[in-house]
Amino acid sequence: MFTSMLEAFLNLFRPIRTHQYPAEEMVLPSGYRGLIEYGIDACIFCDKCEKVCPPGAILFYQHEDGTKTYRYNPWLCIYCGECVRACPKPEEALWQSETKQLSALKEEGANEGWFVWEEACKQSREEYAAAKKSAKIQNKSEE
Amino acid sequence: MKKTIQIPLGSQHISLLEPIRFKFECENEKIIGVDADVGFVHRGVELACTRSFEFKQVGYVVARVCGLCAITHSLSYTLAVEKLLGFVANDRIKYLRMLMVELDRIHSHMLCLAHTAENAGFEALFMQIMGDRELIMDVQEAISGNRVQFDYISIGGVNRDLTPELVALIHKNLGLLTDKIDALIGLFDNNWSLSLKYKGVGVLRLEDAYIYNALGPLARAAGLATDVRAETSDFPYEDIGYTMILESTGDIHARNFVRLREIVNSIAMCQNIVNNLPVGEIQEKAKGKPNGEAVVRVEAPRGELFYLVRGSGQNMLDRVRIKTPTFSAIPAMMEVFKGSEYADAPAILASFDPCMSCTAK
Repeated sequence: MFTSMLEAFLNLFRPIRTHQYPAEEMVLPSGYRGLIEYGIDACIFCDKCEKVCPPGAILFYQHEDGTKTYRYNPWLCIYCGECVRACPKPEEALWQSETKQLSALKEEGANEGWFVWEEACKQSREEYAAAKKSAKIQNKSEE
Repeated sequence: MKKTIQIPLGSQHISLLEPIRFKFECENEKIIGVDADVGFVHRGVELACTRSFEFKQVGYVVARVCGLCAITHSLSYTLAVEKLLGFVANDRIKYLRMLMVELDRIHSHMLCLAHTAENAGFEALFMQIMGDRELIMDVQEAISGNRVQFDYISIGGVNRDLTPELVALIHKNLGLLTDKIDALIGLFDNNWSLSLKYKGVGVLRLEDAYIYNALGPLARAAGLATDVRAETSDFPYEDIGYTMILESTGDIHARNFVRLREIVNSIAMCQNIVNNLPVGEIQEKAKGKPNGEAVVRVEAPRGELFYLVRGSGQNMLDRVRIKTPTFSAIPAMMEVFKGSEYADAPAILASFDPCMSCTAK
């Protein structure tokens, strides 16, 4: 009992073990798996990242002229880094940063907005494929 | 007139971390019959693995079955798929995987010890052990890049390599932890509420352990020599100084001691792995698609984790079956409850270290 009382008394002068969070900044370790970042200039639009992504957080919108638009949902992403490993040009087109994503605000539409986008991407793919198919048939019939 | 009374424990109870329900048939204070219900957190992971995700993505899905043994789940699944693909990992990959599994075992056992202490009415020790556990969590976070969802193991290797700074951090934190575990062993042996109170409580006899197929620390505390690490040859555990930890009494005290001594053993193994890391690539190409059926057993912190994976040469798998250690240990758990006091039930339950989110998946 004497030792425990001594310990308890000494504990008054020992440094605090917990992290004083709002007063002190939380330090993330180096190499923290954070947001996926995208460089449009180096991207070759191979769609490999979209295919490997487990939750489907990366989508490409297919425009009618053949170009594509990248869209990424940081709130759906599980930060596994599989897309970066699949990317043929890592570090230039797609890389994993060490920044942490904050919680979504209502205006950002993390769920509803993304559902709309998912539907739009799916539809754009189908329309593009159908247009290509009909163009092929037309070409053949002309020949 | 009926002589027994039914008392439920759960699904919501002050001593429970996760939802599980036991219905105790009590005669005065003695428990004479037990009924268990574990399916409160069912999420349909097995079906999702075969319907919504391709086999390369499933490793990340099964890692989310459990927060504590995430690495063991993804490791078992990856081993099963690698067996189907005919891929054999090199020694460096094997050692890095072993390192993460052993670190996982250390922090899982520490969590269980903390809760056992809490159930003995020892709140301060709970805080202390959870604080010490941060040493291991920090190492895991630095190695894998995330605190809980490691996503470290992928088909064909591991995702990150050890750097010299990481090796220094591992040595520093494991060194600090060794002293703390030594102090804990003394405390668990000599403290009144942790040793005398728990000696002879919740006894599982060796014969019952055989009959009811106990596994993991529960079986080893009863003296049943069962450990997947010694039984399978997927990993070179003999080379890094693995020893089977056995106790004979089978009570809560023995379970605590199996866990404490396994932590000591795991720390030694981690240091061996880091010191003797072979040279090689950390990621190799595993080509093809899974065709056939593979069964894998891996020793999770709580016991044997069993995976069955069946594929038919396509991107989608036909079947993923996960049998978790807690699920297999339920018959033995129910046997332990019989004959003990009702007031001891929360403490006995905490000493099993049940993981409901694994079991119900």
